[in-house]
Amino acid sequence: MQPIVGILSLIFWLLIVPGLSGLSFNFILPRERRTYGISFIVGFLVQMAVFEVVAIMCMTRVVFSAFTYCCRIYTVLALAIAAGGILRSDILLMKGEKSYVTLFPGEAKAGAREMMSPRADFKLFKLYYSKESMVYWGIFFLVLAFQMVMSIVMASFDGDDAYYVVESLLAQQADVMNTILPYTGVSTSLDIRHALAVITMWIAFIAKVSGIHATIVSHVVMPLFFFPLVYLLYVEIGRIIFRAKQYIIPVFMIIVAFLLMFGNVSIYTPATFFFMRTWQGKALVGNLVFPMIFWVFFWMLEDVEKRKLAAGEGVKNTVTGVLFFRNRISPWIMLGLINMLSGACSSMGVIFGSVLIALLTLVLLYFSKRWTVLIGAFCCILPNILYLAMYFSLFNRPA
Amino acid sequence: MYGIFMECWVSFKLYFGKPWLAVLLVASALYLIITEKDLRKKIILGILPLVIMAGFLFPVTKKVYVAALDDGSDTYYRILWLIPMYVVIGYAACRIIFSFSKSAWQRIALVVILAVIAMSGSLVYMNQYMSVAENLYHIPQSVIDVCDKIAPGEGGPRVRAVFPSEMVHFVRQYDTKILMPYGREMIATQWDYYNVVYEAMEKAEVINAKELLDATRLTECTYIVLRKDRKIDKDLTELGLELFETVGDYNIYLDPVIMEHG
Repeated sequence: MQPIVGILSLIFWLLIVPGLSGLSFNFILPRERRTYGISFIVGFLVQMAVFEVVAIMCMTRVVFSAFTYCCRIYTVLALAIAAGGILRSDILLMKGEKSYVTLFPGEAKAGAREMMSPRADFKLFKLYYSKESMVYWGIFFLVLAFQMVMSIVMASFDGDDAYYVVESLLAQQADVMNTILPYTGVSTSLDIRHALAVITMWIAFIAKVSGIHATIVSHVVMPLFFFPLVYLLYVEIGRIIFRAKQYIIPVFMIIVAFLLMFGNVSIYTPATFFFMRTWQGKALVGNLVFPMIFWVFFWMLEDVEKRKLAAGEGVKNTVTGVLFFRNRISPWIMLGLINMLSGACSSMGVIFGSVLIALLTLVLLYFSKRWTVLIGAFCCILPNILYLAMYFSLFNRPA
Repeated sequence: MYGIFMECWVSFKLYFGKPWLAVLLVASALYLIITEKDLRKKIILGILPLVIMAGFLFPVTKKVYVAALDDGSDTYYRILWLIPMYVVIGYAACRIIFSFSKSAWQRIALVVILAVIAMSGSLVYMNQYMSVAENLYHIPQSVIDVCDKIAPGEGGPRVRAVFPSEMVHFVRQYDTKILMPYGREMIATQWDYYNVVYEAMEKAEVINAKELLDATRLTECTYIVLRKDRKIDKDLTELGLELFETVGDYNIYLDPVIMEHG
């Protein structure tokens, strides 16, 4: 009975809660980007951001049973956000058509009317795939399934697990947050160098609510969760870079899956980290956070192009209110959330992520010719600035 | 400056291991710079990767990086993570495949490209640190078997035990109620710490039983786990320890003195 409850609990916390949270917050996205995949990514980012804030607060403020407090507070907030998703979907379904597309309008497929209408941009709709493309999708999913099965069947050895995985297990078994030395078990003051990267505590939370040993959650459950999530991200990148030729996406995905699987050319590549240390924060920074940053900049550059095309066709290009928020502000909010995920994974991610955003903002500035992107870039790295400020203030605090 | 450049170059070569993936990446970026008409993609997927690689090899970047970060020398290679390597190669490959108008040629091109990737890379499952999992914990079963024998019961006080080096990484991944006098910090070659138990347990070719016992009593170890074939000058039972259990290739010795006072 216990394994079944554990698996149901994993499905609830890893799929349903982020999914419903996405429904709560996907209103920030432009209509055509409100797909199930992007909504799920938004939900996951929101959940991780909330967890990061709660975990750091409990870690630095609570002395005894810090992890229990962390779990309780986060559970209440996470469920409230998920409940918001149920409420919002009910309202949407009551008001509009009772269909999946009402909740995820970005999933709408271009019908004959959209294809023929001079006003509709059919490229923004999802297309029906040809039989050949469906075969390619099938091959990709077979490769993904193979990788997921291998993540259960094969074990990798990495010395850092003696630190990170034990931190998660200590939270689950000893109810502490980074105040016991993982290597030996003696008590210590808060380990600031790793403490703010709370991904270990999130894994411990998943372990605690599912009743599954944190080491199993790290080594088996995390790959099963993060492999599809990372590939979903590549699908979203593919959707933008192959916008007019979506039938290429499955071929792109097969190639990416092969590149990752055969990318173990050294111990340093993102592919090696992806398969051999999936549960460690730095692996997620290299394989999830950085591609996410590229994805959002592709998204913004695509929007810039759309606006230029619209301006060329004489369409008025000034949007205000909600539309302005969705079209111009939401990508920066996404970047802010991605930066929070980055901090939750690794302090290194915060620094590297900021550099990458600075580089890509220059590219965006060149194409958009709008200095306001600098404000967006500054606002989205505010979480990073706060994170570093907290890091150094805790680091220099007397023990 | 030349010396630092060579350090960067060595890091670059170590990062890519086999050179073919680097060749594929550079070739893909150059191909996109030459053929891509969309300037946005040309910059992000063509020019930017080359700029990041050039920045990585530029000695000043390394000087600044190492000065700014404590572990800068060890993590410098992560700058290369900023290159969206798999998107660049994947996108360039798709452009080549779909530049053929006939679908038969497209299929052949896909198969050829996948074969090139497989041959230029290295399959992760063939890595020397990958092995068939012995259990869902993905740690050696022998560690679990030993830990199950010495782990304190529900609500019981924690115990401290010394393990041979091949087990040290895994013990606390299984049960954090088992403490150790030393952990991975002593095994990892990059650190050079001193630990009295480690000196007695691992440094000597033949363990001096008396020295080991003095050290384990000093650090209040209730158990000593030794491989059966580990050379030791005297049987630990002769010094008052009890052979608590034999599990597979390992003998577990219990120290009644620590057990009583612990």
